Amino acid sequence: MHSVIKKDHTLQLRALSRATTVREYVLAIGVTGLVTIICAIIEPLTGYLSIALLYLLSVVAVGIKLRRGPVLLVAASSALVWNFFFIPTRFSFHIARIDDLMMFAMFFIVAIAMGHLTSQLRLNELAERNRQQRTAALYELVHQAGLAHDLDNGLRAAISLTETLFGVRASLVLRLPDHSLAAETHPASSYSLDEKEYTVAAWAFSHRMPAGRFTDTFSDSQALHLPLEGGTAVMGILSIHPAPQTTIGLAEKELLQTFAVLIGTILEKDELLQGVKRAEIIESSERLERALLQSVSHELKTPLSVVGTGVDALTKMVVPNERSQATLREIQQGLRRLHRVINNLLNMTRIESGAVHPQLDWCEVGEIIAAAKDLAADVVGSHRVEVDLDRSLPMVRIDQPLLEQCLSNLLLNAASNSAIGSEIKINARVADDRLVISVRDEGKGVAESELPHIFETFYRGAEARPGGTGLGLAIVDGFTRALGGSVTAANKRPHGAEFVITIPVETLRADVMEKLA
Amino acid sequence: MSEAATALVIDDEPQIRKLLRVLLEQEHYRTLESDSGRQGLSDVALRRPDVILLDLGLPDMDGLTVLERLRQWSHVPVLVLSVRDGPEDKVAALDAGADDYVTKPFEATELLARLRAIQRRVSGAAENASFEAGHLTIDFGSHCVKVQGREVKLTATEYALLKILALHAGKVVTQKQLLREVWGPNAEEQSQYLRVYMMHLRKKIEIPEGPDRLLKTESGIGYRLVIPPSNL
Repeated sequence: MHSVIKKDHTLQLRALSRATTVREYVLAIGVTGLVTIICAIIEPLTGYLSIALLYLLSVVAVGIKLRRGPVLLVAASSALVWNFFFIPTRFSFHIARIDDLMMFAMFFIVAIAMGHLTSQLRLNELAERNRQQRTAALYELVHQAGLAHDLDNGLRAAISLTETLFGVRASLVLRLPDHSLAAETHPASSYSLDEKEYTVAAWAFSHRMPAGRFTDTFSDSQALHLPLEGGTAVMGILSIHPAPQTTIGLAEKELLQTFAVLIGTILEKDELLQGVKRAEIIESSERLERALLQSVSHELKTPLSVVGTGVDALTKMVVPNERSQATLREIQQGLRRLHRVINNLLNMTRIESGAVHPQLDWCEVGEIIAAAKDLAADVVGSHRVEVDLDRSLPMVRIDQPLLEQCLSNLLLNAASNSAIGSEIKINARVADDRLVISVRDEGKGVAESELPHIFETFYRGAEARPGGTGLGLAIVDGFTRALGGSVTAANKRPHGAEFVITIPVETLRADVMEKLA
Repeated sequence: MSEAATALVIDDEPQIRKLLRVLLEQEHYRTLESDSGRQGLSDVALRRPDVILLDLGLPDMDGLTVLERLRQWSHVPVLVLSVRDGPEDKVAALDAGADDYVTKPFEATELLARLRAIQRRVSGAAENASFEAGHLTIDFGSHCVKVQGREVKLTATEYALLKILALHAGKVVTQKQLLREVWGPNAEEQSQYLRVYMMHLRKKIEIPEGPDRLLKTESGIGYRLVIPPSNL
């Protein structure tokens, strides 16, 4: 890829080290010495005044290369050395003539001023170059990482750019979809964090602050960990691992932080884009399913209503003739059964296409059970249904229609698997924020070999009653799952089967309810 | 109830229209039919029916849109008849201005009871000084509530709830509506209050071993004060 930065050059933003500073001062003294030797050679030819220009030249020359301190040292020492060695009286700081004294004073001022100006010029130029490099580096990062089609390639580019620019090793730990920090470094990273470094990275992530080496927290660790700050959230951690002895200057650290922010923004942009795409897909598939379900249920239920309304109308028209009334009642019973089958099929379709979205609301358990009994009334009416309810049962937050459907299916199942007139027992309790409702019948129970299968779609036991689709229990299973719970079946002694629904719920305790009222 | 009430059926299924006509004429309604939303709206304007039976799945526009347009200029009671049976569909229709909701397939007796209930509301149940349903009597003048002839003490909130349900007797009242009318517009989301008060109210006015519950929960939608058949 085309690059605006020469990759073999790391950024020259480092603060000069102590060793460099000492070297510069030694160099300054050396230059003054060298110029003095040259002056000593040519002084007999030119006279002591002209060589002052040579000294000034050296100040300017030094000013181009060195920093202000050494330059001022050259300026001051040149003035003193010139005075000491060349201005009469020689080998003394004493200046005999008034014009020489003036000359010396002028020289001193001009040397210092020139030294100051040239070093200022150089500093400005350096700062300008740094700015350019910074801009180029950021441009490069955006260009390579931000505009990459594939996020992984982009991150790989970002890491290699960071490594070549700063001369360090770098790694990325990203945020997971659940907003926690991933346990592993991103595959694009060139090294992985050990346990200790990971702890520091995790700290930086949760506190949204840089941590590790060159910071105030965990400064004894090997690497510098920078949070990838996006617009609204920290998207992960950029870990910088310089060679053991090197340091990172303030400007470099700032640039690294800017890098981290940029990478964070890129990641956030990507996540938002993904989110939008996902939402669009979900929305369109949900729309389709909804439309399909609506039209299928319309097509199935409309003729059913036509027949139902027709029969209802007939019931009133027909002369009270016991046989025709009985026939009409049978038709009505058949219609109710057909209606139930259609509802089961539609519900199963909703479950299997993931279109069940519970709407939680505060409910009273007793009410739900009563409503479920109503739903199943035409079949369960021939049994004795006993409801055993704790009076101090709290209110629970749940999707009432879903739970009602579950319970009514369990009641229907119990009624059709036990003798007419036998007892069906419903028990409800709340323990450890779980709503537990059991439905127990006095039938023959479920064959042990069939127990593991009875919640499967379309599964019908060997001794199942005629009619029934094998969907009722599968729907109970699907709905309880959608509610975050589960349903189990077991045989009870001496006889009968028990189905238990367990659903985690928020509860509103009885004493709080009293206070509200 | 007027003997010659006019009912308008807005439904695109000719079979449903025909059968509803049979059913309604048995009950001495004059029956009009429209097969689309647009036709229905103009029929309401021109022929002024006393009650409307509206299907939601119309070919030219959604039934909810019909309802919203209708409610801009008319208070005629509307019973929605639809195959959509999710609580959210029902709440949407009730919020759009429907008076009640019956899902297809329906039972004729239930449909007719709902029709009568929404018509009664319009014909001025509110002006009655008292209300009676089964074992329950309410005297609106003295705020006196009696169960099986025995006076029951209700708190102000419980009474307010019961009064709203009684004024809309036989008809579903949404949670939102109850919360808004009793606790004010800011309480529309506080359904737990409503549940708690309804629970207390039930304990006070229902007979434990009574045959049917007077206050029926319409799950996911709201409550209905059921008028026992003996009252009709």
